[in-house]
Amino acid sequence: MQRTLLERVEPLARDVVSLVLRGAEGPLAPWEPGAHVDLRLPNWLTRQYSLCGDPADRETYRVAVRHERLSRGGSEYVHRFLRAGRPLEVSLPRNNFPLLPAPEYLFLAGGIGITPLLPMLRAAVGAGTPCSLVYAGGSAASMPFLEEVRSLAGDRVDILATGERGRPDLARHAAALGPDTLVYCCGPAPMLRAAEAVFPAGRLHVERFRPEARGFAPDAPFEVECARSGDTLRVPADESLLDVLRHAGHAVPSSCREGVCGSCEITVLDGEPEHRDELGAPAGRMYPCVSRALSPRLVVDL
Amino acid sequence: MAHTRTRPRPLSPEQVLALVGEPEPMVKNKIIDHIDEQYHRFIAHSPFLTMATSDAAGNTDCSPRGDYPGFVKVLDAHTLAIPDRPGNRIADSFRNLAENDGIGLLFLIPGMRETLRVNGRAYPTDEPEVLARLQAEGRTPRLAIVVRVEQAYAHCGRALVRSRLWDPASRALAEEMPTPGEMLTAQLSLDIDPRVIDEGLEEAYRKLY
Repeated sequence: MQRTLLERVEPLARDVVSLVLRGAEGPLAPWEPGAHVDLRLPNWLTRQYSLCGDPADRETYRVAVRHERLSRGGSEYVHRFLRAGRPLEVSLPRNNFPLLPAPEYLFLAGGIGITPLLPMLRAAVGAGTPCSLVYAGGSAASMPFLEEVRSLAGDRVDILATGERGRPDLARHAAALGPDTLVYCCGPAPMLRAAEAVFPAGRLHVERFRPEARGFAPDAPFEVECARSGDTLRVPADESLLDVLRHAGHAVPSSCREGVCGSCEITVLDGEPEHRDELGAPAGRMYPCVSRALSPRLVVDL
Repeated sequence: MAHTRTRPRPLSPEQVLALVGEPEPMVKNKIIDHIDEQYHRFIAHSPFLTMATSDAAGNTDCSPRGDYPGFVKVLDAHTLAIPDRPGNRIADSFRNLAENDGIGLLFLIPGMRETLRVNGRAYPTDEPEVLARLQAEGRTPRLAIVVRVEQAYAHCGRALVRSRLWDPASRALAEEMPTPGEMLTAQLSLDIDPRVIDEGLEEAYRKLY
């Protein structure tokens, strides 16, 4: 955790504010476009927000937060109760959505999904890499960073207020896609689904706010062996692997509990995990907050 | 030795009034009929409340509810939603509310001497949009209690000052208490090791959701 001071809370658009956090103990940890941090809120909740400031600025982090209509207590707290001047703990940056080298980029942003893409756009423009941005939102008044993206990329930005012009025609963008162009998309679930339907899987990178509703086999019990501590635990059908490990005293960090943020990553030594996360676990890793087992037994490095 | 049963003399409402007088106008005026921004902030920082309900016959019950601060959601200025979590002794409250929808809530914030009182009418719901807002640790409650607010007011902190409730030194009081297992085995004259009960409880406390 890094100690910061909440320097400013500023309205950016309707129902969107930005938070500027200044490092309280010297420079903040470095980050790359696409990275997010966990914010520990005063109401004990931890929430993930993409960093949308300038990676070269080691003094402050900037995040933007939309007030969700069905807030579980994170965005409502940020909007209504968080006050400038208070200290806030922020995790080290994590990047599940890194910008890979490519000769050209197409960025697709839906609403607050602009946040991880903004530093990507800035990096691509700064490096002189050809890129364009399609930025859709309900209405211009609800879309943050309009001025910023316009001044960054000018006519390579297509801003769509879907209330007026309807959803972006992704099929047209897919048909016109250069052979080595990489596509980065962050937005609400319908936009991600539309993108997944038209862009080649190997060239599309997405980041979700919330997990996609998907069907899995019914939860079954399994066993987990912790190789370092030597204990073997039973994971009942109605408990997550994460909860079982934590109840047994293993200090596995966790945050979103939805397979989105990546903070509970553990190493799998044997057995076959059933990956249910949204991140695409790297080989030999799993996210025990949502993932379970296909084999009757897993061996993990704990 | 058992306590002798006593019944101190009751007072009439007139006698009480003569002893304590009418409430100050300011005290009366601070009662509002909705949740304003200040009380919303109070609820958003409160991890604990007591909930009083009673049945048609006047049998009354008061139970604790607790979770992360703001676990009670302010749906609008007149409406609260309280999640039902395992171990809340829900049955008593819901049985009462089915007969009598009156409810009284007292919100506490650790470290704060003033408390927030909210009275109103309540009913259970399984409305998905409400339950979605009440998730904790990735679990969605099956039920919530919706409270239609009729009265809300901050209660002055004298009781908490006198009780030294937030004084860390007050925690020494708990050391004078037997464990829950010891209490239960004594009350029920059980011939088992109290530690079995205490360990069972500790296990249950590790699984909160």
